Amino acid sequence: MANVQYRNVGKSFGSVQVLKDLSLEIEDGTFVVLLGASGCGKTTLLRMTAGLETVTAGEIAIDGRVVNDMHPRDRDIAMVFQNYALYPTMKVRENIGFSLEVAKKPADEIRRKVEEAARVLNLTELLDRKPSELSGGQRQRVAMGRAMVRDAKVFLFDEPLSNLDAKLRAHMRVEIRQLHDRLKATTIYVTHDQIEAMTMADKIVLMKDGNIVQEGSPDDLYDRPNSRFVAEFIGSPQINCIDGVIEAGEGGARLRTQHLAFDLPQGFAAHAGRQVTCGIRPNDVTLDPEGAIVGTLQIAEKTGADVQFHLDVDGTEFVAVAPRSAYRQAGERMSFAIDPGKLHVFDRTTGARLTA
Amino acid sequence: MVVRSKTSRVLRTVAGWAVVALFAFPLYYWLTVAFKDGNEIFNWPPKIFSFTPTVKNFEEVFGISLGFGFGEQREVLPGGGNWRMGPRLWDSIVIAVLSTALAVSIATLASYALSRMHFRGRHHFVSWVLSTRMMPPVAVAIPVFFIYKDLSLLDTYTGVILIHALMNLPLAVLLMKSFFDDIPREIDESAMVDGASRWLIFRRIVLPMVKGGIAATAVLCFIFSWTEFLFVLTLTQTGLKTVPVVSSTFVTSTGTAWGNMAALGAAAMIPAFLFILLVQKHLVRGLTLGSVKQ
Repeated sequence: MANVQYRNVGKSFGSVQVLKDLSLEIEDGTFVVLLGASGCGKTTLLRMTAGLETVTAGEIAIDGRVVNDMHPRDRDIAMVFQNYALYPTMKVRENIGFSLEVAKKPADEIRRKVEEAARVLNLTELLDRKPSELSGGQRQRVAMGRAMVRDAKVFLFDEPLSNLDAKLRAHMRVEIRQLHDRLKATTIYVTHDQIEAMTMADKIVLMKDGNIVQEGSPDDLYDRPNSRFVAEFIGSPQINCIDGVIEAGEGGARLRTQHLAFDLPQGFAAHAGRQVTCGIRPNDVTLDPEGAIVGTLQIAEKTGADVQFHLDVDGTEFVAVAPRSAYRQAGERMSFAIDPGKLHVFDRTTGARLTA
Repeated sequence: MVVRSKTSRVLRTVAGWAVVALFAFPLYYWLTVAFKDGNEIFNWPPKIFSFTPTVKNFEEVFGISLGFGFGEQREVLPGGGNWRMGPRLWDSIVIAVLSTALAVSIATLASYALSRMHFRGRHHFVSWVLSTRMMPPVAVAIPVFFIYKDLSLLDTYTGVILIHALMNLPLAVLLMKSFFDDIPREIDESAMVDGASRWLIFRRIVLPMVKGGIAATAVLCFIFSWTEFLFVLTLTQTGLKTVPVVSSTFVTSTGTAWGNMAALGAAAMIPAFLFILLVQKHLVRGLTLGSVKQ
């Protein structure tokens, strides 16, 4: 087990700068998810940690040891690749045991560890098959098994679930997290799927254009996004953003848009006159005939227990989630009430979070 | 699956067999010449099916008695009817097999490096390798002759094997590189993370995956060496000669021994055919199947 430190890490491919002066500390035994849209540099950061890309600036330290110039095999890491990268000419057994074989471990120890990993991953029946005879989910598990037998200091996952179907993905999510809870190994997991990040991470590191935008627990990022970008990235369905101006009246602060007006927490009076964007999560509104958000229902999507209402609020789309019992037909007028305490207010130009 | 009418299926089969016949007929005709008596070769119209087969040509070419077909009237043919070509066939086999092994070994290592390792001028290197084959071999033959003379390589197996391997290398490297390029880089990286060294990755992981490519490259190299004429002609004298070069000796001042030439050609097909048969079982597709999700 080990901690991982990134100190002012930079990476350029020729003239293209992919990572810029990035610093991050990953504590021993935590499950950290590097989250971001494609091209944000998250995979590059992971590959640099593995030693598969050179570090052009700064330092990466694993367990206090700077590993910048260290060969991947000396870093004591295990990695699961997006496309699994199994060895096609070897059986599952040999695939899983390859690292132990390379490390010249005794044959009976290799067999014991491989069989133990196979048992945990439900691969026992498949040990003597070739990768070509396995399904996508089974191959994925073999890739995990290969990492598991290593007893590595750090586990790296590069979008391991992106090639699986939705059901299997949800299942593997749980398995990977359970595996982590059992092994307690420091894990760095790259994904662009915010649901994976929210469900699995101890800590999410949200990246954009080679920079860290925000890091914190899933709840931190969901409840206190530090910018409009974070608020829009985290949460499904996506947060509603309404532009307006803060007004201070005798009753406290209010947000006034072209057609709407609703209360803000008291403290926002200090920002009176400021052009802001107000973020409202679809789950944070309640159906209320007296509510401040009034619109025409465009479409109602049943998702099972809930209904997602897509409203047209004076020309902008607004999404609200309500229990299934609230189902309406398209075309109806609906109104929703907002809890001022659950609003997120961002500066309209910088996108930064404003606090009351 | 598209459902096709019976007529279309019949037409396709007929067309297929027509093409096969078109390519197979010259080969068949060549074989009949090898088994024909001297006079029958020149019969007009040619006897395609109805001729009296004889092994005389083979006996003359290899200077041996096959133990049947004797008692026929022997005519005096150019070369006196006794060519003793057995050792020449052996020369061909030794040179083709060893030069192929040498070319494929070097090409496999070189192309893996070219495919996987980053070094300055890698792309120029690839085109430079190929450019060596752009010169007509005749332009190279005379300088090579003098170099070989100085190195005492003239008229030796080593000399011919080396030049054949060298001639084959550029294409072999290029061909093998494309096979290595097809293997996802992540497989190497995965093995690297697993703790394997470059050499171990090459030997244990990558090499078994390019078996088909090696087989294909070997077939091409073998056939080149088996049929190469110019360098064997210029670089050997009496010590050794390969089949293509000795075939030309059937053309003599007193006439061309067509039957003998065909017999040697037919015999020479057998080792080449066996070699290809041997490697072709490795020519299977989909060796990377199941490794990565495409």
